[in-house]
Amino acid sequence: MNSTGNTPLIQTQNLVKRYGDKVAVNDVSFEVRGGEIFGFLGPNGAGKTTTIKMIVGLLQPTSGNVRVAGYDVQTQPLQAKTACGYVPDTPNLYPKLSGRELLRFVGDLYEMDRQQNERRMEELLRLFDLEEAGDDTIDSYSHGMQQKTALAAALVHDPKVLVLDEPTVGLDPRSARLIKDMLRQIANRGAAVFLSTHILEIAERMCDRIGIINKGELIAVGSMDELRSIGKGETSLEDIFLSLTGGAEYAEITEVLR
Amino acid sequence: MSIDSLTGVQPGSNLWRYVSKLLRLRWVILISGFRRAKLRGKIGTLVLLLLALGGLAFAFWLSWLLLDFLRSPQIAEFIGDTTYLLYSVPVVVVTVAFIGILMTGFGVLLQALYLAGDMEFLLSAPIPIRAVFISKQLQAILPNFLLISLFALPVLFGLGAAQGYNLLYYPLVIIELALLAMAAAGLASLLVMAVVRIFPARRVAEVLGFLVAIVSFTCSQSGQLVNYADVSGEQAMQAFTQLERINTPWSPLAWAGRGLTAIGESQWLTGVGLLAVTMGLTLGIFSLSLVFAERLYYSGWARVQVSIRPKKPARASRRVEAHNSGLAVVVNRLVPAAVRGILVKDFMVLRRDLRSMSQLVTPLILGVVYAFMLLRSGGEPPAGRGEAPPVFMEVLGNLMVYANVGIALFVSWSLVSRLAGMGFSQEGKSYWILKTSPVSQVKLLGAKFLVAYLPTLVLGWGFLVIISLVQTTSFGTLIYSLAVVALTIAGTAGLNLAFGVLGANFDWEDPRKISQGSVGCLGALASFLFLIISLALFFGPALLVSAFGGPQFVGQIIGMLLGGAVCAAGAIIPLWLVRKRVALLAEE
Repeated sequence: MNSTGNTPLIQTQNLVKRYGDKVAVNDVSFEVRGGEIFGFLGPNGAGKTTTIKMIVGLLQPTSGNVRVAGYDVQTQPLQAKTACGYVPDTPNLYPKLSGRELLRFVGDLYEMDRQQNERRMEELLRLFDLEEAGDDTIDSYSHGMQQKTALAAALVHDPKVLVLDEPTVGLDPRSARLIKDMLRQIANRGAAVFLSTHILEIAERMCDRIGIINKGELIAVGSMDELRSIGKGETSLEDIFLSLTGGAEYAEITEVLR
Repeated sequence: MSIDSLTGVQPGSNLWRYVSKLLRLRWVILISGFRRAKLRGKIGTLVLLLLALGGLAFAFWLSWLLLDFLRSPQIAEFIGDTTYLLYSVPVVVVTVAFIGILMTGFGVLLQALYLAGDMEFLLSAPIPIRAVFISKQLQAILPNFLLISLFALPVLFGLGAAQGYNLLYYPLVIIELALLAMAAAGLASLLVMAVVRIFPARRVAEVLGFLVAIVSFTCSQSGQLVNYADVSGEQAMQAFTQLERINTPWSPLAWAGRGLTAIGESQWLTGVGLLAVTMGLTLGIFSLSLVFAERLYYSGWARVQVSIRPKKPARASRRVEAHNSGLAVVVNRLVPAAVRGILVKDFMVLRRDLRSMSQLVTPLILGVVYAFMLLRSGGEPPAGRGEAPPVFMEVLGNLMVYANVGIALFVSWSLVSRLAGMGFSQEGKSYWILKTSPVSQVKLLGAKFLVAYLPTLVLGWGFLVIISLVQTTSFGTLIYSLAVVALTIAGTAGLNLAFGVLGANFDWEDPRKISQGSVGCLGALASFLFLIISLALFFGPALLVSAFGGPQFVGQIIGMLLGGAVCAAGAIIPLWLVRKRVALLAEE
């Protein structure tokens, strides 16, 4: 872990997002430090993606603020975005660009030096096993290939902060493993990795700290040990998660299926 | 499990029950779409329906009159005996209807079988595969049959009324058209599978959309090129003779048309014979196509694509050479990398997506047609009856000097409305890439402005230079006109882009459906108004000064100052007004 280890690279303070009367995110505050992998968990519709979108500058918060790499996303958006890489849950990429063209385009958006961009692009294509398909248009890619291309695009400019929304969905076990290993390496180099996932096993194994959001409110934050201590004796993340977010509906489902 | 065992397990009594269930599902989706539509959409649909019914009645009345008119002695004097031509009408209509349904059915079945995404669900459900195929075929037939009937029925019924055909003719017309539609759809389904075996379905849909848009737009505009006043009786007769050529004795489509005519004229033996043969043929084609299509689909024959071009070898690590040419260095210094990146990306995406290209090519066709018309007129104002005052004719004469600018700008306006108005919406669901990147609103607006401005400028200047060279316009006028075109395009691009920001829609799958709501339409109208005002400011002073005998260059300078100022304002002010809105795009 390098010197950025103790610096908070993502900070949210009293973050609120309302859509009319509906409160999607309510008073969410947390920090993610350099060198840390932070897992963001929550049931469907809990406010995970809304929070992520506010962090990466896709959504304006109703109130509260977000700082990325020390820059306020609202008042210093360009500096904050320069430091950030984002992989959305659905990789909507330009279907008529090839993988190489997309990465070159992203490099241009981040004002990267052309030679450096080309080098980085080829490295990433090789790493994600996309070298051969690099000149095919993205509309011919499978979901997994698109997901890997989106991840490559997020890494082109070597961001200090990496935000990933469900990064392993649709990936084969080999690619999923590659991404997990890579995220650890990125964190070890001092970057902050923020990821949301429904796969609790991934969160338990990979993440240094975990935040659980339910109905728009952050109900727990901490390491696995800290989460265990606030639970009612549960040891696995799955049990802690179900205990915190309410598991009554699961019993009903089991009853129906019986 | 073999294919036979699956396709064979189709109890006849259940087959049609499943077909009706599947069709009912389509009906529920249709009605549900109507119910959930906004009030404006509902009213629009009802108005469209009423207009179609009114059009049907009007077409019937018009066909009756026209076909009656064709039998008149005056027409016979002009183009000769029309009896054979009247006998050819059913054959021509039936042939056109068959080919029309074959072509439209191809597009609908391509969508229904390979792009709709419901086939996996339907084939994995306990539904006979034949029921799925019949319902898909009927889905392809019904809308197209109704559309074709809208044109074919009035003509055939009009012919029946004009010729006094017996009553049996009318229901047989409908039955014959319906059976032909089924045969056409059956053949279309086989054609779809053969094509999809070679080319990816999505690409075929794009190419088809492009071709349909270009051909239909070209056809709609080609009428402008015809000089109807000069059509002679001989030429008209030649045109009719071409129609008669379709009525060949060996064509099954001709048998259908001839059978209908024979029934109408109570020639029962010929009529019943010909119609029975064609009905048997159409039913046979439909049944065989159905069986083959379902087997080929289920066996995956069509999905195993036969590549017709070798796969490109993977590129070795590429190095982009630094562009050292003078222009490249200047461009790199002046234009930020992000703006250059967006420009390159947008041009690549527009060029590669044929569905977008079809919308961009139409202004070019429009330009060619109108430029041809201008050049054909020799650039001279119409002489009229010679009663207009000399001053008026002088102004009109001078105005015609600038007509080429008008055409160049009209063509440019059609292109810039599309490029600038859809500049942001074009990003679609990929807009997150731009929004999460460190690109300021000014750079983003600048890039989108250039994406619209540069190709439009090339097109506008290209048209202007070509027309001016053909018309041998003076060099001074050409330079002035080039400046006018450049400035006016800038103004219209700014205005359209601003409206595009206000009405941005990122939620679309098909680029032809980007335009949403009335903002885009308002933008096009506002920019057209702006175009007229700026043209009046550019050329008004020059025309007025010339009309009063003053030197033209004085008027041109005044015009350049007035028009230039308005165009600069049009390019900058609207974008400055919407700049903050850009930051909030795609958040609703």
